[in-house]
Amino acid sequence: MRARAETTRRQFLMIMGGLAALGATLFGSIEVLRFMFPVASDNAPALFKTAFTFQQLTGGVQGGKAVNPANVLSETDKRVTVVLDNAGIYAVYLVCTHLGCTPNYVTDVTIGSGVSPTVAEARGVRAPTDRLPNGWACPCHGSRYFIDSTNFYGPAPRPMDWVNIEVTPDGFFAVDRGALVATRGPGNNTAPEWRLLVDTLKSNGKTLGV
Amino acid sequence: MSATPGANPLRAFVAQLWGSVFRHGLPANDKVAARTALTNFFLHIHPVRVKKSAVRVSYTLCLGGLSFFLFILLTITGLFLMFYYIPSVDSAYQNVKDLQFVAVFGDIIRNMHRWAAHGMVITVWLHMSRVFYQGAYKPPREFNWVIGTFLLLTTLLLSFSGYLLPWDQLAIWAITVGTNMAKYAPIVGPYTRYLLLGGNQVAQGALIRFYVLHVIALPLIGFLLMVVHFWRVRKDGFTGGL
Repeated sequence: MRARAETTRRQFLMIMGGLAALGATLFGSIEVLRFMFPVASDNAPALFKTAFTFQQLTGGVQGGKAVNPANVLSETDKRVTVVLDNAGIYAVYLVCTHLGCTPNYVTDVTIGSGVSPTVAEARGVRAPTDRLPNGWACPCHGSRYFIDSTNFYGPAPRPMDWVNIEVTPDGFFAVDRGALVATRGPGNNTAPEWRLLVDTLKSNGKTLGV
Repeated sequence: MSATPGANPLRAFVAQLWGSVFRHGLPANDKVAARTALTNFFLHIHPVRVKKSAVRVSYTLCLGGLSFFLFILLTITGLFLMFYYIPSVDSAYQNVKDLQFVAVFGDIIRNMHRWAAHGMVITVWLHMSRVFYQGAYKPPREFNWVIGTFLLLTTLLLSFSGYLLPWDQLAIWAITVGTNMAKYAPIVGPYTRYLLLGGNQVAQGALIRFYVLHVIALPLIGFLLMVVHFWRVRKDGFTGGL
């Protein structure tokens, strides 16, 4: 029996050994967790070229204006839709802000929602003759978006994002899903003014929220 | 069981073989029956003595037992499905079609797996309700109730991960919605989604992860929890009716 409480050699070695085992376990656990987070994946790259051309979307450019007054072409599997209106071209990233499904393009987006079609028609920069109550409807839980990607019905908390779009030298579009040009929070109904201009084929640089 | 001199050597050998596996004869009386329950691995899941009122079917409706039966059925049918199913986004759906139309009885096996899975969710849920309404979660069984809730969670996760494997439209959007729900969790949300998908998109990485969870990780966790669950049922005792 020891007279005073002092650490024996054996106890000291036990404590050191215990700490070493604890440290090794901790380190090992962290590394095992890290194993589950690959640093590279086989995911498709954010940048891709559309299957449709600038010519198909716009119908050509005459006098600095697109021949088609308004048009919508989509690459549903790539989850991007390209919209032409009187101000220019923009691309919407078709990822529903609720739980990530792909909303479908519809020409009667307000039907049964209690929202007047005229509200949807007034969205986007379009001449009164080109107006259509079009937009996107999500098949999963019924969220609906106007043509400028503003949500107005269903569980979606905020508008869908706009992504960067350029015209490639061979006349297609290059869409970069990794480069947002307009992103809006919940309740933000401001229509983004970013456009790819049809006459210069350059963006107007009016980004929103990025 | 030692062979007496002059006896048939073959008979003695069989007797020894039998005796090495089964330590008892047929349970003809209470004493042998008790020894049977004590020494047999498969029978020792039951207590040696149970009150007659405790085994009345109308008491527990055998809902836990049904859940376990369905788990066994799912394990066996799942094993058969694994012979045809390859967890690849290119072939998974076609493998499921092959199972239904190319393999003999494949459609029956697949449907048994599917319906048993639905059934297990229902029986586990009813079992939990039964335990709740009878107050069977009260001391000394509170710990077993906690294990039970983890078993419910395991059952639901097994159901969800299995739902994804055919890799049809239903599966792809279910995994999209499910992993985006995980993303809503504060701080760890986006990491959880990345962990589940093995990337940022619902692709091959996600399918193999959910496959491994479905066929190995979750059944193993469920099995271990069941072992403890059944042990505790025995050790916590039977009330023998209301």
